[in-house]
Amino acid sequence: MSHVKFKRRHVPGRAGILALTGYFFRRSLLNIRQNLVINILAVITITLSFLIISLFLLVFVNLEGAGEIWSEKVQVTVYFDRELNDKEFAALKNVIMTLDGTDSISYVSKGEALKRFSARLKGQESLLNGVPQEVLPSSLEIRLKQPFRTSGGVEAYVTRLKKIPTIVEVQYGEEWVRRFNTFMNFMRFAGALLGGFIALAVLFIISNTIKITIYSRREEVELLELVGATRFFIRIPFLIEGMLQGLCGALLALLILAGVSWAFLNHAGDFLLFNPQQAGLVFIPVTFCAALVGGGILVGFIGSLTSLHRFVEQS
Amino acid sequence: MIQLHNVSVTYQQHICALNDVSLMIPRGDFVFLTGASGAGKSTLLKLLYAAITPSHGQIIIDNQNVSRLTRSELPYLRQTIGVVFQDFRLLPNRTVRENVAITLEVLGLGRKEIGERVNKILTQVGLEERMQATPCQLSGGEQQRVALARALVNEPKILLADEPTGNLDDENKSLILEILGEANCRGTTIVVASHDLRLVASSNRRSMMLDRGELREAHDESR
Ligand SMILES: Nc1ncnc2c1ncn2[C@@H]1O[C@H](COP(=O)(O)OP(=O)(O)OP(=O)(O)O)[C@@H](O)[C@H]1O
Ligand SMILES: [Mg+2]
Repeated sequence: MSHVKFKRRHVPGRAGILALTGYFFRRSLLNIRQNLVINILAVITITLSFLIISLFLLVFVNLEGAGEIWSEKVQVTVYFDRELNDKEFAALKNVIMTLDGTDSISYVSKGEALKRFSARLKGQESLLNGVPQEVLPSSLEIRLKQPFRTSGGVEAYVTRLKKIPTIVEVQYGEEWVRRFNTFMNFMRFAGALLGGFIALAVLFIISNTIKITIYSRREEVELLELVGATRFFIRIPFLIEGMLQGLCGALLALLILAGVSWAFLNHAGDFLLFNPQQAGLVFIPVTFCAALVGGGILVGFIGSLTSLHRFVEQS
Repeated sequence: MIQLHNVSVTYQQHICALNDVSLMIPRGDFVFLTGASGAGKSTLLKLLYAAITPSHGQIIIDNQNVSRLTRSELPYLRQTIGVVFQDFRLLPNRTVRENVAITLEVLGLGRKEIGERVNKILTQVGLEERMQATPCQLSGGEQQRVALARALVNEPKILLADEPTGNLDDENKSLILEILGEANCRGTTIVVASHDLRLVASSNRRSMMLDRGELREAHDESR
């Protein structure tokens, strides 16, 4: 017996790779049109799933943003052993600026310190009558860069600060910083946990939806196998279809969310007591949006691939 | 071209559909496979296009042992075989034209080439007017002709037809036989399964008879 294997025959009139790509895309679009109902159902499911994810991200991003604003309260105040003249101040400022973690420095004069103190007394300012302007010391208030606004970060920074000779006292809201940090860490942990569960649920829902759309067309897959379509040939249009479904679902979800949050930002002030615009609410950052769209395409691809895999194996 | 050596097929471990069948069909032959309903005709054809595997025995097609083909080689065997399925297997969502084009698309042909060949074969089976219809808008006989067109459009080396004339009147039956005859003249080896003994007799071709899974007679009355 000869050993001529059944291989790709040379077929006259075979189209090039470009025409083949064109064929695959045309076929996918035709498939979508010819199986419109089930495709629409799949896209709706994917859209809702992504809406949940992106809504969650939106809330999470805004909480993080709020956390960042609060964390600006992490400030270090420095007092000196004696009154410094302007020249000494300038020199000291320079030294502090070179410290790693310093964001900005502002000078609080004696007058300013007294003014702040009297503002706190609220209505009992008369207590200060006759008190000389110089009773409170002048100081420097240092703002820290974002990564240093943690308990450990502030402590390390303060240790280095204390080594500067003219500085005798350093104050920062130790307790507050610690509590704030614990709270933020808890938030992130809860967010990650919840996000993880949501992502799993969404993956499960989407892959099952895609499985159903493919299963509803098992006749087509079977026939293609019987007329000699290679696995590659059978799969490509389904994969393209899955990716298009994922893309449409993710885009639709983002569009809906953007529309809703835009409406909320612009009209919530009418019936709510607070104005969300002033509260600094933001939309999901562009990179996250891109990641969501990419994720949609990926989920569509993987969902189709795994369903096809199982389906083709068992037949 | 086609050889079966002591082939048996058992469904679900106890339904014996074919029992120790050996046969040989030379290249360019045109044979009928007859037998009562349930005799195993469709089962035998399924073996040839490798939709099922034998529980016993060897199948050789085109000098190649079918059971030794790997998953990736199988499609290329099937590309050389045209099949008219007993239940047609037309895709309900696609037009007649698209249904016939499938066998050419699988080969990776260009759009223009596919269009021309599909038009030609559909004209040949008398369906040039119904190209944009979907299968459910066609009569049973018309669907059968679409299935035949799909099997023949890529000029396969082997054509397996399972009851290709089941739903047709005499005039269309002879049209189908004529088309099959032409394909045979161009070199296609043809196996037709049918229980229509009158049709088999009128065609003057070799016929083989199955009886409850066994090959009873293989008389050669051709030419
Ligand atoms: N998938 C299957 N599972 C179990 N039994 C089967 C299966 N397919 C066929 N059979 C049995 O195998 C036997 C042969 O079936 P086959 O379809 O080959 O008959 P046939 O000669 O084509 O009949 P017909 O002329 O009615 O089409 C029958 O008894 C049938 O019940
Ligand atoms: Mg049958």
